[in-house]
Amino acid sequence: MLSVLSYGRLVARAVLGGLSQTDGRDYSLISASYGFGKDFRKGILKKGMCYGDDACFIARHKTADVLGVADGVGGWRDYGVDPSQFSATLMRTCERLVKEGRFTPSNPVGILTSGYYELLQNKVPLLGSSTACIVVLDRRSHRLHTCNLGDSGFLVVRGGEVVHRSDEQQHYFNTPFQLSIAPPGAEGVVLSDSPEAADSSSFDVQLGDIILTATDGLFDNMPDYMILQELKKLKVSLLDISFCFYMMKTNSHFNAFYCCSFQTTNYDSILQTAQSIAKQAHDLAYDPNYMSPFAQFACDNGLNVRGKVTVLIKIVYC
Amino acid sequence: MLTLLSMFYYICLRRRSRSGTRGEALTSRRAVESGQRAVLPVSVEVEQYAKEVLDFSSHYGSENSMSYTMWNLAGVPNVYPSSGDFTQTAVFRTYGTWWEQCASAPPPFRRTPKGFYSQDYIELGFEEPVYPTAVEVFETYYPGAIVQILACSHNPFTQNPPTDVRWEVLWSGKPTKVLTPQARQFSPKIKHISFPTNLLRLEVNSSLLDYYTELDAVILRGVKERPMLALYKMPIIDISDLSDSEEELSDVGGPFRQGGDSKHQRTGNGYFDKLPYELIQLILSHLTLPDLCRLAQSCKLLHQHCCDPLQYTQLSLQPYWARLSDASLGHLQSRCTLLQRLNLSWTGNRGALTLTGFSSFMKACGLSLVCLEMSCCHFLNEACLEVISQTCPGLQELNLSSCDRLHPQAFTHISKLTRLRRLVLYRTKIEQTAILSILTFCIELRHLNLGSCVRIEDYDVVASMLAARCRSLCSLDLWRCRNLTDRGLTELVSGCRMLEELDLGWCPTLQSSTGCFQHLARSLPRLRKLFLTANRTVCDSDIEELAASCPSLQHLDILGTRLVSAASLKKLLQSCPQLVLLDVSFCSQIDMRVVQELSGLVPNVAIKKSFTQ
Repeated sequence: MLSVLSYGRLVARAVLGGLSQTDGRDYSLISASYGFGKDFRKGILKKGMCYGDDACFIARHKTADVLGVADGVGGWRDYGVDPSQFSATLMRTCERLVKEGRFTPSNPVGILTSGYYELLQNKVPLLGSSTACIVVLDRRSHRLHTCNLGDSGFLVVRGGEVVHRSDEQQHYFNTPFQLSIAPPGAEGVVLSDSPEAADSSSFDVQLGDIILTATDGLFDNMPDYMILQELKKLKVSLLDISFCFYMMKTNSHFNAFYCCSFQTTNYDSILQTAQSIAKQAHDLAYDPNYMSPFAQFACDNGLNVRGKVTVLIKIVYC
Repeated sequence: MLTLLSMFYYICLRRRSRSGTRGEALTSRRAVESGQRAVLPVSVEVEQYAKEVLDFSSHYGSENSMSYTMWNLAGVPNVYPSSGDFTQTAVFRTYGTWWEQCASAPPPFRRTPKGFYSQDYIELGFEEPVYPTAVEVFETYYPGAIVQILACSHNPFTQNPPTDVRWEVLWSGKPTKVLTPQARQFSPKIKHISFPTNLLRLEVNSSLLDYYTELDAVILRGVKERPMLALYKMPIIDISDLSDSEEELSDVGGPFRQGGDSKHQRTGNGYFDKLPYELIQLILSHLTLPDLCRLAQSCKLLHQHCCDPLQYTQLSLQPYWARLSDASLGHLQSRCTLLQRLNLSWTGNRGALTLTGFSSFMKACGLSLVCLEMSCCHFLNEACLEVISQTCPGLQELNLSSCDRLHPQAFTHISKLTRLRRLVLYRTKIEQTAILSILTFCIELRHLNLGSCVRIEDYDVVASMLAARCRSLCSLDLWRCRNLTDRGLTELVSGCRMLEELDLGWCPTLQSSTGCFQHLARSLPRLRKLFLTANRTVCDSDIEELAASCPSLQHLDILGTRLVSAASLKKLLQSCPQLVLLDVSFCSQIDMRVVQELSGLVPNVAIKKSFTQ
């Protein structure tokens, strides 16, 4: 008797949730993250949300959920600087800013600017650079505010199609816009973009939207149709009530966010999809015959990087 | 029918009483029997972290940052149980005795009570007022600085203006130094108080510590209902309790104002009548202020002595900040006509002092005033500063440190104090025009502190004005002045040749490659203190130039540079025999092995190397 009532209630809610486009309730995000790191040989295991040179965070404040990814620029390794330190510290700082409420949901560039400023306030002399992409879901207004600096980015998928995407910001081939702290004297030589140079946008989101954010490892290896294929496999059924947004990070880090007003989630389903996308990107990266979007772009720029694609990414499970 | 029902009822009752446990049945029966007797509620202990940081005297970090700033003390701990120098903690501006050794430090005030150790404070608001049972402080780096914990009866989150604000000391102790700089949870035994509180104040003294103390969070444990009187210990009345002093300060000499009974005069004052006047004055000069006020009530002779203005040439009311009011100032007024040094730091907040009380006091005693300490006096406004500028023409020292609620317009009145020699404006909202106007007129400035003055737009202009007008400048604190460049610095050191102390910590726009630090070293042979904290461009040639040109160097801070090697530091240590403090924290070429090696060379130099674990 009781179980029938509760089942009926769930069905009613599900039906209502699916049908209603404008929802007075706050949306919430359910997320999962998964990723691949890079440095197998050094065997470096980073904490928590760090995979290779990439770092990310998911944070919640009163009226907003925020996701961020940052891709450390690998070239610093040649100068004895660990590229992951900058991206990891930047993301941890942005996470702290969000948790303490020192941000405005409609201004994700502000989070980047404050985060970058706080890096300079650290006694430890940080060096390095990274791209960054920050996405803020304002739960009340159901709007997504985004900002992107560099070649990381996001995709918004609705009903199996990409409805919004970020643009890559590059100075020239394989040199994205980046936040950086340079060693003294090298300021003129090292690329350093201001956080204000980030592209920002705002748009409405609906129940059932899937937001994918990733670093260039994904977009460079998997074209859109492959990504969409994987996302379709994600179980989305009303009775199942499993919604997930996910953000995929490249070279590995995969976060999922799902815009939904239900609290139940089938976490395993999200994680599975995350894993499958990451694995596919990984496999494609190692496929010497596969002409990835990155390889295509490189060819257009006069570089034969077919073989190089595999060299650029060394992947290991973290 | 009735019998059936009654049988049914009886059977049900029995079944219920049998199904319940024996204990339950007993208590339920007892409860029914006892009727109206209320069961004593178990008092629930509420544990809360600080909701908001309301006020503080100083901090290490930048004004709009969350790194090393006091606002980190609110909320849950971010670092504990790790130890180390982390950005997510609350750090005060100073530590040890280094700042007291500087020429810019004022001499201590006479009559400071022995039990008053506080140098800095922070006030925290909690969500719910409770009767406190415990206070726990998470100290994550160099613990041991907390010397007093106080609780306030006023709820800081209400809209009502504060009335009858009472502060009660929950715990007080001496500054300590813990042997290892590891994190700890400090939970002293606190006194029980008679009012609920959600406003705590921590006072600290880091003078024994080897490095900056860092605090992570504070827990307030308490009960919502007032504890039972039986469990509630009546506080022992302490003869030196400050609560007595209020009566003394407000009603001094009251009972003896009628005085003058000849019978009393004839019986005399024993041996006191035989002592010369100035000897009694000398004896009384050792008493603390509350004792002096109490003594005034003992007899007419001592009343005369205790009210003698010569006893009040220096007056420090800072230890009594919790009790001071307009009335107290009013009663002290008549004795303060020869006042030269006045310390009102930390006083007057939450309505205790007003413009009327303050201005009448200043009118009475401003004429001879030479030094005025008004650190963290939030009752100050533009009118108060105007009063100061009008009543204290001879003022030479003015301290407005952390008066961050003062409107920028108020500082223009300071330029009327043309005899100023020492001016502290740390963490105030002074703006460009006001400071330039002050520097134009106050040409006798010897000590100037513009640390964390974020509203000043162009420090290069300020520097060149200093070089032009304040030639006798001896110490300058430009901590966190965000846009001073080599141009301004070069002009400054060319004009102010008498500079002995220069704090350029966290000034990111100074580049060593311009040669400005080397020029500084060559221009200032008398240099004794130089802070280049977190200037990432300091290099070996700068250190070598300092070694060559500044033999009197005593304090040097080069935190966070990657470019300084052990070799140049060795040269510095050999050439500067008076060096006592060297901070090489986060200098990547200087690891612990190098520090130990250098300490072996010069054992009397404190070489500081901070760490994050």
